[in-house]
Amino acid sequence: MAGTGRLEYPTSIMALRVLCSSRIDPVFLLKAYLKGADGVLIGGCHPGDCHYETGNYYTRRRFMILKTIFDSLGLKSERFRLSWISASEGVKFAKVANEFTETINNIGPNDTKNNMFL
Amino acid sequence: MNKVIKIEKSTKQGLLEFLEHLLVNDKISGVLTLRKINENGICDYGFITDPKELIETAEPFAPVMPVNASQILSSLTPTTKPIAAIIKPCELRGFVERVKRAQGSLDNVLTISYTCGGVIPLNTFQSDANEKLVTDYFEVIKGTDTPDSVRPTCKACEIFIPMTADITIPIFGNNEVDSDCSLIMNSEEAVKMSKDFKCEIIESDLDSKIMAEILGKRTAEKEILFKTVSTTKEGLDDLVDTFGKCIGCHGCSRVCPICYCVLCDFESSNFDYNTDLMENELSQKHALRLPPDTIFFQLGRLNHMSFSCVGCGQCEDVCPAGIPVSTIFKKTGEDVAKIFDFVPGRDVEEVIPVMIIKEQEFPEVGE
Amino acid sequence: MDKKNKSVLVVGAGIAGIQASLDLAEMGLDVHLIEDTPTIGGRMPQLDKTFPTNDCSMCILSPKMSECARHPNITLHTKSTLENIEGDPGNFTCKILEEAKFVDPEKCVACGLCEEKCPVKIDDEFDMGLRKRKAISRYFLQSIPAEYTIDKDKCLYLTKGVCKICEKVCEPNAINYDDKDKLIELNVGAVILSTGIDAFNPFGFGHFGYKRYKNVVTSLEFERMLSASGPLGGHVVRASDKKEPKSIGFIQCVGSRDESIDKNYCSSACCMFTIKQSIIAKEHIKGLEPTVFYMDIRAFGKDFDKYYEKAKNQYGVDFIRSKVSEISELPDGSLKLKYTLENGEILYKNFDMVILGIGLEPRKNILKLAENIDINLNEFNFCRSDAFTPLQTSRDGVYVCGGMNGPKDIPESVVAASGAVANAVKCLDVGRYDVAVGDPSKEKNVEGERPRVGTFICHCGINIAGVVDVKDVAKYAKTLPNVEHSEDVMYACSQDYLDLIKSRIKEHDLNRIVVAACTPRTHEPLFRDTIAEAGLNPYLFEMANIRDQCSWAHMHEPELATAKSKDLVEMGVAKARELTPLQRLPIGIDPKALIVGGGLSGMTSALSLADAGNQVYLVEREKLLGGNLRNIFFQPDGKDPQKLLLDTINNVKEHKNIQLFTNSKIEEINGYVGNFKTLITDLETKEESRFEHGAVIVATGGNEHKTKEYQYGKSTRVITQVEFERMLQDKDFPHGRLKNVVVIQCVGSREEGRMYCSRVCCTKAVKNGLELKKIRQNVNIYVCYRDMRTYGFREKYYTDLRDKGTVFIRYTVDNKPVVELIDSTDVDSKLNVNVFDQILDREMIIDADLVVLSTAIDAPEENEVLAKMLKIPLNSDGMFLEAHVKLRPSDFATDGVFVCGLAHSPKDIDESLAQAKAASSRALTFLSKNSILAEGTISEVDVSKCSGCGFCVDVCAYAALEIDPEEQVVIVNDALCKGCGACVASCRSGALDLRGFSNKQLHSIFESLELT
Repeated sequence: MAGTGRLEYPTSIMALRVLCSSRIDPVFLLKAYLKGADGVLIGGCHPGDCHYETGNYYTRRRFMILKTIFDSLGLKSERFRLSWISASEGVKFAKVANEFTETINNIGPNDTKNNMFL
Repeated sequence: MNKVIKIEKSTKQGLLEFLEHLLVNDKISGVLTLRKINENGICDYGFITDPKELIETAEPFAPVMPVNASQILSSLTPTTKPIAAIIKPCELRGFVERVKRAQGSLDNVLTISYTCGGVIPLNTFQSDANEKLVTDYFEVIKGTDTPDSVRPTCKACEIFIPMTADITIPIFGNNEVDSDCSLIMNSEEAVKMSKDFKCEIIESDLDSKIMAEILGKRTAEKEILFKTVSTTKEGLDDLVDTFGKCIGCHGCSRVCPICYCVLCDFESSNFDYNTDLMENELSQKHALRLPPDTIFFQLGRLNHMSFSCVGCGQCEDVCPAGIPVSTIFKKTGEDVAKIFDFVPGRDVEEVIPVMIIKEQEFPEVGE
Repeated sequence: MDKKNKSVLVVGAGIAGIQASLDLAEMGLDVHLIEDTPTIGGRMPQLDKTFPTNDCSMCILSPKMSECARHPNITLHTKSTLENIEGDPGNFTCKILEEAKFVDPEKCVACGLCEEKCPVKIDDEFDMGLRKRKAISRYFLQSIPAEYTIDKDKCLYLTKGVCKICEKVCEPNAINYDDKDKLIELNVGAVILSTGIDAFNPFGFGHFGYKRYKNVVTSLEFERMLSASGPLGGHVVRASDKKEPKSIGFIQCVGSRDESIDKNYCSSACCMFTIKQSIIAKEHIKGLEPTVFYMDIRAFGKDFDKYYEKAKNQYGVDFIRSKVSEISELPDGSLKLKYTLENGEILYKNFDMVILGIGLEPRKNILKLAENIDINLNEFNFCRSDAFTPLQTSRDGVYVCGGMNGPKDIPESVVAASGAVANAVKCLDVGRYDVAVGDPSKEKNVEGERPRVGTFICHCGINIAGVVDVKDVAKYAKTLPNVEHSEDVMYACSQDYLDLIKSRIKEHDLNRIVVAACTPRTHEPLFRDTIAEAGLNPYLFEMANIRDQCSWAHMHEPELATAKSKDLVEMGVAKARELTPLQRLPIGIDPKALIVGGGLSGMTSALSLADAGNQVYLVEREKLLGGNLRNIFFQPDGKDPQKLLLDTINNVKEHKNIQLFTNSKIEEINGYVGNFKTLITDLETKEESRFEHGAVIVATGGNEHKTKEYQYGKSTRVITQVEFERMLQDKDFPHGRLKNVVVIQCVGSREEGRMYCSRVCCTKAVKNGLELKKIRQNVNIYVCYRDMRTYGFREKYYTDLRDKGTVFIRYTVDNKPVVELIDSTDVDSKLNVNVFDQILDREMIIDADLVVLSTAIDAPEENEVLAKMLKIPLNSDGMFLEAHVKLRPSDFATDGVFVCGLAHSPKDIDESLAQAKAASSRALTFLSKNSILAEGTISEVDVSKCSGCGFCVDVCAYAALEIDPEEQVVIVNDALCKGCGACVASCRSGALDLRGFSNKQLHSIFESLELT
């Protein structure tokens, strides 16, 4: 909806479509991280109005698990963000996208992309 | 206070006689226990159905973990014939976690566990010259110190008291272990089993003062241990340093009580590394560590099982590359379980964090 | 009646006509849809956004338009009018005049060259004259059918015999100047009229200076200005100086609620329309100050009041209750408004722009049509229908829906359309039929084939190409692995380009297709069907949204937008390589239905389905049928609700297809669309009944709110409208002589905790007021209200009551009337009502003999239990939340479950009847099929990897998974799975996977990314 509303956000954000945030296996986030993605943003329906009933609550737990693992290992968990953005909230999407990009810019580039071990 | 079977014999002798009684009277069909496999004291798990063999060969408290017994219990259960299993607290917790995942059943299993002093690394224990090592071990654990010979993770283990056993036996911290046998019955099931057994039944429990003393020492030990893996450098470099040695044998997941998958997804075709991928990767990084994706595997495995990690130490014990897998997984596992207020193996009714949801939690997430 | 006919005629292809056609077509009937303009779509394509969700109007409509055009059971006749109807229901002969288009639709590829070269410029009526079009043109960008037509009154050749330029430039030789009007005859069983409405033309009206002052525009013109795809590209500027307005005045009720021009009716939609525009305008223009001048804000629909509150509180829109008497133009083109407040004070305010909230009126051609086909019109020249037969014209077998029989907003039109269908099927032969199951054997077998990807990059006119270098993206796509063909296309979704895609598939032997265009949400089905027509499995298709995510979101960074488009296409190709053919499996449908609730809505639905030959189980909690209708005794139009009640109950009881369970409770409902199993118990005998059915209609109704306000319960003289109506019916007023009766509106409604309008209370108060005046002519009635919401034709009753001397006193929610017992120790004591009168500008104390409270309508608490059982959602007010508030008002997201009546939201008798019929007709779209097809994108399990841990079973919200007790592995119920993928992400063994969004496909996208 951000597009429909002609709201601008950084071009560095690349969308990958799934039908529900609960489809997102944290392993995807790992994959993206190790591939060199500087950040991964998950957008999901707000708690209570998941289009698929309860999916987003599971997403939140899975997200927290991954985040905690990263914190525990001293990795930058700020590179992951979960945000409740409903399908009609173009404005929020653009806002979050801008904020998140700024966060990522502050952390700096992800070194995984140059590391042959990863 | 619990009902306790009191036998004036060594703890080992008393326990075996009790189990012999159960076998003879057909109350159980067999006993899962560590047993000697040769005269050199090398032990392995065995399922014993013959009372005589039980008395002769069982080494129920041997400080060794040839395999996490929860994996064996999964193949013995569900069973219609009652059995007894003498296993370590972490193995029991591992089994409880497996039961939650429908990988076995506690029905008809009399679980017997004990205050555990830790286990000696597999390679060390299963050698011909372990006799003195074992004698010294049992001498030390009469007190509240953990023997130096045990694995680092065991030294730092705070859950040395079984959490859900039907029968708990004081071994660690019990200086009367050679002359006295106390079988603490925690469940109705245990009490029912002891009905016709001729013995003294008293009201008693573990010595809480001694247990607290052990816990204090273990906690201090854990802090030291966790510091060895805490990140001194930038996390990513540390990660590469630590796991860079991984040879990708996946032995850690094979021995893990929580890794029960038929085929580990990371070994499936979903993660095949084909020529295209290699080329793609090379075009970006100009070099590729082979075998690839070893660190991806470790992070992925953490993601799959960390919250249920019982810290049994098997992964580290078997790692050919000497990576402190267990230490890292134990630390991260505890961190993850903590956010859900979850303790793996504490209670079979306690639902695994990823299987339930709470509407109100982590309010900081989502904005 | 002869029920052999399977054909039906739908006249008018606005949203109502489209919905009616789709419903009929889904029942297996043959539909002829005629439309007098060159495109289907009606008014909705002109709208930018829809209230109260701000959905993009065209985005939600275009899939329906496409579906309509592509449905094998629908024949479109554009530029066609209905000339007459002969015969009887079940066997009508309709004469249709098909106007000459002068362009052969078979040959036209809609390339647009003719329009580019045509020398004749004319005003574009679609863009309200804000843009010019040519004498040969396409109606609008996404018009359907995608074809050009010549305006014969403007074409130089057709009028003067010179030019012929279009013929010269048209490569496919589609121009045919000799085209003639044709008269065709259609034999149909029923006719549904949905010719829609016109907007009021304010030219010369009032002192508003429309067309005289450049910066005075109508709301419809303003809508086109706001539209991002409109003539101003969404950048609102004044016509006089092209400057962005900083203040806008909206004037309401222009051409509505005005007896002086014979329009004593409310246009129903304009208040919300204006609120929406004020919000959208505020979003478009930073610092804009919108002001709305209104008489009453009629935000009476579902969730409308929340939207109104949002406009006031969140967007700071200023609402001034006043009458604008004059507008004058200032030298700089700004406008000076003269307006009078309620208290008579006259004020002036200047605005940069003024928007006239124009009303809705009957189509100009309705008089001729009515005469031709012999139907009656009402006093305002809308098609006449009655409250108890809201979808019927005066002619048997001819039904009406949409705005044609009264102003309506979109969801009401959609409801009416489906409702009219339920009426029409009575004259038609609806039988059970088999849906066409895709035949995999006819599909090209791609197994083992190397992926041969075709990529099509859409310009979307200038929507994408205006920012993204589409040609460059297409060129880049060609370099990607496995891409065999890549090209840029003007409008990928138009029929000509769809045909092009099909021909490319054949030409290059493509086996995977990627279209980079707009959103898959609206367009994926279209493209899937298209590649299926070319012999490919429809799931071998992937879309990249380079419009929303590139050209629109990054319009000021064309280079980066182009680079990102390339990346998105690359991701799409990466996924496409891994795509596998999927099949949609048939799910058997039990033709029986369960209806929950035996009020008017439930009974009407039951009768509709039963008449169509379906067995119905009607379950009612109470001992008696009838619900709220049992308490309604009067209708403002004089009709007798109790007769309606009795007739309906008798019909239900006598119908052989209806099995009735009163005083019964639903214990459980299991299963899924086509295959439900229900257990009910009789509350008295405790006897259990079990039955199986294919659909559920929820008609649980609403309850009268129990208030504690205004001394209710403490005084015998304070009663509710329902209690008052019974008094009027019995003509029994226990307190004897009535001198002053005070009516208080919005008791419990439109305030914290119940932020919604209960919709019926204003009309109810008016109706009961009129009834009281009939019995006791001299009684003084005082109505304390917030906004009088007598929408539509209800307005005239309001003016009636006013004319009879009733005093209307407006109060605000922070200054409510205060009711006090004169003798606080006596429950029978008379009352003092203290209220601030805005007109007199002072406090008033009324010595009241009776206080009547118009209490809110509450959602029954039991809704929650039913919602859980059926896995359907409730809104924040506890009312059932439909699948889509605009276009799927009677459906749930869960297939096979439908809603009607007060269970959906408060509504009047005619509206309940319409929705009851609509729900049954929506149900029939399933129940008339022997089977439906499951989704293709659902979970699947690889049992060899499954360890039977059961995580997924716990995670699934649809109960679509269970563990096979024998094998200890999970099994997926294809019919229940919605394809969310929650289970897949919970499965660490990779045993579960989501077809169409598989692990492999998603991983391959990650692998394709070059994150440098």
